[in-house]
Amino acid sequence: MKKRALFTLAVSTLFVGLQAVGGSSSVQAAEKTIKFGAPLPLTGALAPEGIKIQRGLNLWMDTANAKGGIKVGNERYKIKIIYQDYQSNTPRAVQTAEKLITDDKVNFLFSPFGSGATKAASGVSEKYGIPTIASTASSEAVYNQGYKYLFGTFTPNITLTQPLTDMVIAKRPETKTVAILARNDFFPLAIANVMKKSAAKRNLKMVFFEKYAIGTMDHSSALVQMKAAKPDWIFATGYLNDLILIRNQMSELGVKVPVLTMVAGPAYKEFIDGTGKLAENITSAAWWHPAVRYNGKGVMGKTENFNKLFKAKYNLVPDYAEASATAAGIIFQLAIETAGTLDHKKVRDALATMDTETFFGPIKFGANGQISSLKPPVFQIRGGKPLVVYPDVIKQIDLKFGIK
Amino acid sequence: MLYLQILLNGLLLGGLYALIAVGFSLVWGVLNVINILHGTFIVLGSYIAYFAHLYFGIHPFASVIISGSVLFCLGYVIQAGIINRVVAAPVLMTLTLTFGLDLLLNNAMLIAFTADYRKLILTDSLGSYDLWGLILPLNRVAGVGLAALLTFGLYRLLRDSNIGRAIVAVRMDREAATLMGVRVNRINAVTFALGALMAGAAGSIFSIIYPISPINSGLFLGKAFVICILGGLGSVPGAMIGGIALGVIESYGALFFGPEHSTTLAFVILIALLIFRPTGIMGRKGYE
Amino acid sequence: MKKIAIFVAIVALLALPYFGNNYIVRLATVMMMYSVLALSWNFIGGMAGYPSFATAAFFGIGAYVGAILQANGIFFGAAWFAAGLIALIFAAIMGRAILHLRGHYFAIASLVMVEVLREVVNTNDQITGGGMGMNIPILKISVEASGMLFYYSMFVVALLTLATASWVYHSKLGFGFRCIQQNEAAANMLGVDSTKYKTIAFSLSAVFVGMAGAIYASWVNYIEPPDVFDIFLTIKPVVMVLLGGMGTVFGPIIGAVAFLALEEIVWRNFLTIHSAVLGLLIVLLVLFLPKGALFFDYRQFFRGRKK
Repeated sequence: MKKRALFTLAVSTLFVGLQAVGGSSSVQAAEKTIKFGAPLPLTGALAPEGIKIQRGLNLWMDTANAKGGIKVGNERYKIKIIYQDYQSNTPRAVQTAEKLITDDKVNFLFSPFGSGATKAASGVSEKYGIPTIASTASSEAVYNQGYKYLFGTFTPNITLTQPLTDMVIAKRPETKTVAILARNDFFPLAIANVMKKSAAKRNLKMVFFEKYAIGTMDHSSALVQMKAAKPDWIFATGYLNDLILIRNQMSELGVKVPVLTMVAGPAYKEFIDGTGKLAENITSAAWWHPAVRYNGKGVMGKTENFNKLFKAKYNLVPDYAEASATAAGIIFQLAIETAGTLDHKKVRDALATMDTETFFGPIKFGANGQISSLKPPVFQIRGGKPLVVYPDVIKQIDLKFGIK
Repeated sequence: MLYLQILLNGLLLGGLYALIAVGFSLVWGVLNVINILHGTFIVLGSYIAYFAHLYFGIHPFASVIISGSVLFCLGYVIQAGIINRVVAAPVLMTLTLTFGLDLLLNNAMLIAFTADYRKLILTDSLGSYDLWGLILPLNRVAGVGLAALLTFGLYRLLRDSNIGRAIVAVRMDREAATLMGVRVNRINAVTFALGALMAGAAGSIFSIIYPISPINSGLFLGKAFVICILGGLGSVPGAMIGGIALGVIESYGALFFGPEHSTTLAFVILIALLIFRPTGIMGRKGYE
Repeated sequence: MKKIAIFVAIVALLALPYFGNNYIVRLATVMMMYSVLALSWNFIGGMAGYPSFATAAFFGIGAYVGAILQANGIFFGAAWFAAGLIALIFAAIMGRAILHLRGHYFAIASLVMVEVLREVVNTNDQITGGGMGMNIPILKISVEASGMLFYYSMFVVALLTLATASWVYHSKLGFGFRCIQQNEAAANMLGVDSTKYKTIAFSLSAVFVGMAGAIYASWVNYIEPPDVFDIFLTIKPVVMVLLGGMGTVFGPIIGAVAFLALEEIVWRNFLTIHSAVLGLLIVLLVLFLPKGALFFDYRQFFRGRKK
């Protein structure tokens, strides 16, 4: 009995301690602040992605706050981003978004990671009429729900695959067949299906199309079959770990191909570090690349300046996910400053009519809220660096063929 | 040739799978503890190999010794210090305990190493060998060879050493072993530590094949479960057979039904096996 | 005393949506859901002593059956009910197949069911949307009204589960379950048809979980295989029942409430180390309170402190 009493005491002390920690963190700053909610997958399978978004958002918050914050009418507000981990669990993301809105009373919201979670959580922000910017959702299905408060910084998937297909065929007309291996997951599957369309449009023959389950630990059977089909082009989709494994197993099994495209991963430094020499000549497309050059408005200014600030803060070269997160912040800031108020409806209207340029690219949203103004670059990994091969204005190198 | 190549791939994958399961099966069979920590132990072994290679240029096959010893010590401490307090409790209790410990250790690794995937790249990769059209991925072959060697080592240890015979005795009959003067608590700790050692060694070998991240621990744990049932609990040959069976089934499953169905197929076989032969392919009656 | 306590609790819970904000109502809905999961697992795991890991399988079946029916225009209430029924039938059939296994082997077989179902749902994308997930039609009612609807629905299922648990506990069925838990061979000799009883216990552990899964799917509007066939949905109820006390009627509810409180407090206050803190708490609870019965002896409390 005594032991139990002691334990109860210990646990209740712990509880009080926990509450105290919670209490101190929610002390309001004396100055005026605008609260932004950011439900992110900071733990679990998507943690690497969640941390990228956090990096991008923090860079915006710190840079903007150092310059005095957001100007609303004649007043200046500091930016406060409230992060909440949803453990890479989509329903939990929805729950978290609602908690941020109703409990933390955030003024504006950033979407969770990826098309799937964004789509799921968009219903909540629509319900409460909270302007929300998605920095990592590209599937059109997300935006075609008829919602008014959701805006996204990624163009539809087809804008990635179509230029790629056109260019490959232009530079290598003998390209006739394509093989696709896709992770059975929202975005990887969506982009694989779009690639299928792009290929069909250009009369490429599909010699192999298979999906693999999430958590697949071996791709050798699929790769051996692909090898037997002798495609001109292999298009593999998945996340970092899948793609690193697929590339390594291709090499182990001697799968050689003129063109190898991987989405989404090669843009990340972690991919190049994880594949080493095998990364050479892999092509991919993304919504942004550090080589693009825009004369941006907002606290970041030009693209060069963003690259410099990012490097100074994290000692890393930014990738498209990080840049998109920073851009999402800047877009909010520009819209709030244009609206001159924190009113949800007015800020939403300012977003809908926005027509400007940031370091990320020209910003103009379509009627469904998805950005319509971006021209995603195509790039190839050469000498351990992703270099732009398309569009011509920012081209750094010519496309090269052959994967060993 | 395609079928032969896929058989070879399946066997190599199976060799790796076997290594995942050996330690897990041992702990489960002897201690009656389902060690949820096992997957995280493997990932920790991978990190040790990764950093040993990065900072000291040690080949992962050599760092098996380091990761094995570190995990042995960690396993001994965790068992003797924490799990032994409730080792006699029902299996759900120890399962919940190791589940809690796993949350703790995995989160610690997430903070220490971040969730970013890393990959150890060998500077002197062995490449592949073309044997009349049959491709042999040599790094993988070497890795599986080493895995077989380690597993055989464990097998001999259990059969031929005093401590090994004591472990087997505890597995067969805990009470009788106690009466015969076996110090069961010590045997428990050594067994758990051996299980962790095998996990660490597996981690080292895996570092040349799989990207490394704390996120992967659940994947390894899931495979360990399946293999244990396929092969039967608690015996080294059982885990070997179970692993190889799973590797081959998955490889042919991917060929015939498509890669998205290969794991489903393995599970269906597993359910069938559970219904008709619950002691596994190699299992003997009496260990349920 | 006991009746008064229950009555007060029910009235308080009924009134809750009129006092709490949306967040509180949402949390309370989760609490009801956790209670259903814990109470349900207690039938097979606590009372009959079979370590089932199939909770997530039933939950996922319920969620997908409910979602598919609603996507095809079935009224939501009917869809939820059908979800429970399908889960029940599935459990009865699977129970026949795997309940002859004991201990670990049963545990694994039930766990594998979760894995198989997840893969089956994942690959049949014509019906389930596969990896793309599934959207459930949103009800065209106000935020507050839908919050209340799901809360009260979950509440009703929780009450149903509790009533069933209480009835089973005091009936011949509960006696049979406990016999099986103590000694199955002896139970058979006493004339307890153990196969039949085990199948009943397994089915009872499925039906309400299936309904909760369907309500959950309607509530979050979007489901995908890894989320509704989540291994945590299987493990959490076990932890809850251990916290509250195995094989009792009210224990699972106490455990569910305590677990949710821990989870929520830890999650809100520790951004990146919440799972470590939760892990630590679980370890401490197992080591120092292995009998469950959190904080106070609630059975004595209900009996009015008679010794």
